[in-house]
Amino acid sequence: MKGGSRVSPLVSSKGMEMNPFTGVGVGLRRPHLEQVAALDASPVPFWEIAPENVVGQGGSRHRQVMKILERGPVLTHGLSMSIGGYDAWDRDVLDSLKGFLKETKSPWHSEHLCWTSFGGATTHELLPMPFTRDAVKHTVERAKRIQSELPVPFLFENVSYYAALGEPEMSEKDFFAEVLEGADCGWLLDINNIYVNSRNFGFDAREWLEGMPLDRVRQMHIAGHTWFEEDQLIIDTHGAAVIDPVIELMQWVLPRIGRPVPVLLERDNDIPGLEILLAERASLQKAYDAAFEPAGARHD
Amino acid sequence: MTEATEQAVSSTWKLQRCLTDLILDAEGGRSFAKDPMAFGEDRGLGRADQAALEKFKTRLLVYRGLARNALEDPLPDCFPITHGLLEEAGLWDACMDAFLASRTIQSAYYRHVNPAFVAWLAESAWGLERWPFLLQLAHFEYIEVEILRWPDEPPAADLKPAPDADSRVVFEGATRNLAYAYRVHEATRDDPEPAAGEAFLLGYRDAEGDFAYSELSAHASAFLARCLEGEPVSRAASALNLELEEVLDLLTRFKENGALLGFR
Repeated sequence: MKGGSRVSPLVSSKGMEMNPFTGVGVGLRRPHLEQVAALDASPVPFWEIAPENVVGQGGSRHRQVMKILERGPVLTHGLSMSIGGYDAWDRDVLDSLKGFLKETKSPWHSEHLCWTSFGGATTHELLPMPFTRDAVKHTVERAKRIQSELPVPFLFENVSYYAALGEPEMSEKDFFAEVLEGADCGWLLDINNIYVNSRNFGFDAREWLEGMPLDRVRQMHIAGHTWFEEDQLIIDTHGAAVIDPVIELMQWVLPRIGRPVPVLLERDNDIPGLEILLAERASLQKAYDAAFEPAGARHD
Repeated sequence: MTEATEQAVSSTWKLQRCLTDLILDAEGGRSFAKDPMAFGEDRGLGRADQAALEKFKTRLLVYRGLARNALEDPLPDCFPITHGLLEEAGLWDACMDAFLASRTIQSAYYRHVNPAFVAWLAESAWGLERWPFLLQLAHFEYIEVEILRWPDEPPAADLKPAPDADSRVVFEGATRNLAYAYRVHEATRDDPEPAAGEAFLLGYRDAEGDFAYSELSAHASAFLARCLEGEPVSRAASALNLELEEVLDLLTRFKENGALLGFR
């Protein structure tokens, strides 16, 4: 992170011993709430939650969520801010988000580098940005504005995308890097998204990562995806277990980041039982730990 | 936006408008698939961007499917009877086409897709000619979700546990005093068309936090409506010629089952 960074001291290299956000955490999902809330202690190093799914809610499920979040630690990850879009942010939504970030003590808040709404109509889909100078300028301005609003540092997540929107003036990689640098914000590196894009567009994921500003990475996402024969396309469904090549990519990049940044396991479709998900988390944790072992000590 | 202003806006804005139209307009998929370049030209895109639409035609259509699935996904769970009825009639997809094309879904909160559907049914009167009860059925189905998720309130101080003649009633925030012209609460998936007939219902979260409702008489509903407006119990009862003892019993029962927080 360059000068003027607002990244929490919790994640600085000097403060790693204080950092509860390391290892592999899990996205908190509705089917597991009752079971997790009933546990005496958190079964994961940290949870991640989408504020949009929690704020302004009530009832018994909400109380279960809040019980789990109060136990923490928690990272927050937004879904519908539409940073790359043009619609004005709803002041009530923004204020609720700010309150939630303070309440959960999330050290940062992440959102996707995409747009989700246009002309007031929301699609609730992560839609691709044009890879153009105009879009860089526009997104940087919006990202700076949102950063100035939030009480914690802001991270952009690289998204999976399936088509270029309009004639590109630059690569997706350069587009993402230019926005990160221009907005001077952190990076939520979604390793599965890079893998999905590499397969759908035929590039090498490691080459994509080389030369990227890995010093900006504060968090990673990892997830499964699905191949659709009919469309000849991998879709980022978060609906399957993480595959080995994605785990290997995570292990490849972690030492290059040089810090044990937290990795979050996402699962949004065909959600398995908690035990199965926790077993997958434990397996990923082993892979995560192994990534930091000296090269000679690794068995992979 | 005038044509002159439109020319001045950015290519990013035009491209986003183009993809939004492709996703949400009922005929967006068909007209885009037929001629992506013309689709882009109609929306002010330059030749290079039009060519990119052509190049990624199939994959851009994938976005239409993904977004529409995301927007439609919560509805069958929230509106199981309405969904079943329209599916059976082969009109669910047409209903979704019209709903999404209306662009009524505007909230950043995904949970607001459900109330947006009810609001759109009310605004558009879609299907009401064939099924005059449709809006009311959908409303009652949505109310269950709204009540279940209604924000919890901090415990109210100084509430009396039992009512008396001078009491004002403090309702639990999620409680809803409902009136329908159809017996919507009697509709089922197997028999989704409710009979015509007044239905006065009090929907609430019960002591376990689950959705519950009680059917009321017209008088009881009117009495509770007055209580909701803050009238003291005795005044609300006398305005409707109701026996005080009768309404105190009613309020005691609703206090016990969780619809009311207490009395002041």
